[in-house]
Amino acid sequence: MSLWLTLAVNSVALGGLLFLLSAGFSLIFGLMRIPNLMHGSFFMLGAYLGVTFLDRGVNFWLAALGAGLLTGLVGGLIERFLLRRLEGQVLPQVLLTLGFAFIIGDVCLMVWTGDPWQPATPAQLQGAVQVAGLFFPLYRLVILAVAVVVAIALWVMVDWTRLGAMIRAGVDDPPIARVVGIKVSQLFTLVFALGAALAAFAGVMGAPYLSVYPGLDFEMLPLALIVVILGGTGSLLGALVGSFLIGFLYNFGQAMVPDLAYVILFLPMLLVLVLRPQGLFGKVGA
Amino acid sequence: MATSALELSDVDAYYGDSHVLQGVTLRLGQGRLLGLLGRNGAGKTTCMNVTVGLLPPRRGGVLVFGEEVARLRPEQIALRGVALVPQGRRVFRSLTVRENLMVAARRPVNGGAAAWTLDTVYAMFPRLEERKAQMAAYLSGGEQQMLAIGRALMSNPRVLLMDEPSEGLAPQIVADVMATIRKLKASGLSIVLVEQNPQLVFEIADDIVILNTGRVAVAAPAAEVAGGAVDLGQHLGVF
Repeated sequence: MSLWLTLAVNSVALGGLLFLLSAGFSLIFGLMRIPNLMHGSFFMLGAYLGVTFLDRGVNFWLAALGAGLLTGLVGGLIERFLLRRLEGQVLPQVLLTLGFAFIIGDVCLMVWTGDPWQPATPAQLQGAVQVAGLFFPLYRLVILAVAVVVAIALWVMVDWTRLGAMIRAGVDDPPIARVVGIKVSQLFTLVFALGAALAAFAGVMGAPYLSVYPGLDFEMLPLALIVVILGGTGSLLGALVGSFLIGFLYNFGQAMVPDLAYVILFLPMLLVLVLRPQGLFGKVGA
Repeated sequence: MATSALELSDVDAYYGDSHVLQGVTLRLGQGRLLGLLGRNGAGKTTCMNVTVGLLPPRRGGVLVFGEEVARLRPEQIALRGVALVPQGRRVFRSLTVRENLMVAARRPVNGGAAAWTLDTVYAMFPRLEERKAQMAAYLSGGEQQMLAIGRALMSNPRVLLMDEPSEGLAPQIVADVMATIRKLKASGLSIVLVEQNPQLVFEIADDIVILNTGRVAVAAPAAEVAGGAVDLGQHLGVF
């Protein structure tokens, strides 16, 4: 397989992972206005939990789901009992989530030590598939497929269900939504837990090829930030497009101009911030 | 005396240090329509906000069909059958008309069959059915008012609070809204109608309460007030 194709496949796979990570970040930041700086920590915590399950011989998908559920629970509890008290106060929210990011990082270091863990790609997902005479690594395509399925599921939930409409109503006008009888605060806890669970799920999905190691959390957080700033907060389509854009920039940037990899990564974000602060797909004034 | 649909008793409420309601007492009888009048800033909207739980009163009680709700959260008060048509309509702008109605849908408090469903709301406001897939932000002012009323009805309330539903609407639309309120009253709903324009209220209300700088200045049957027993100019700045 040519270098270009390899890079493209890797880009698509990273894009899929980034979407799983940043979709929740986008919902939490865009809908609830919480700058959740522990989102990368949810990714890492999920990855460690998943790796532990895999180590005990749990099926890969069950491990990913279990890590998602547990991390979602952690996120939900933090939102319910701590973040809730800081409603609308951005700086305290930043400090609280950043503090938890450090705590989660330290706990992970304590429990899982400083050595990297890299689980094997699950046996049934190893190997390559042949498409139009070219071979593609199966696992990368699986990541892409999972991202697409999650994107569709989220889109249906947010745009086409009564639950989604209630969440959007709670964002549009929180006081009136509550007067109408919508339990806004419970819905927000649910959204936060869902975002945490998706990030953790992404962590497990990414573990076989990113591996899990201390510092993974703060490597993923800026990527989620860039994706959401590029795509526009609160926009699922924005998160999807932004994820693949960053997936490509990251892989091609590192391969072609390694010295400028971070410039290539952050420059588009700067341009968007200057020229179109609401992001590519964000709503004006949202 | 039968239980009131809604009762505010000796309510004190503050916005920060500003003492906006000072010992307000008012009573809405079951199936009746109470007109709440007063100048700008007299405390009419504050009374609504206190009732729905957006502004917890510092002192005093709020009774809905005899049950104290003054310390409950807005969503809990909504569950007890109170619905608000807010000032400025405040429809959910990024939701479609149908979604605006669906998010509020609930069964009545007494557990009976729901009188108000999508179908019955559409029957009352055919215009909303025509525009059901539109985003609420793109509706005209009159249509948004219909939507705000429809949204309140979807919760099958026992008490309906309407905060200046005629505000900013063309006269023909105001007449439509008033006709709607008449129908709702005829259906047995207990209604509080907040208005700046006393003439609109006199035609339709059973009782009148006039607020003046956070206190109840007048509380009397509508016929008495309309008949000239009260110096409206003093309290409302009208002649």
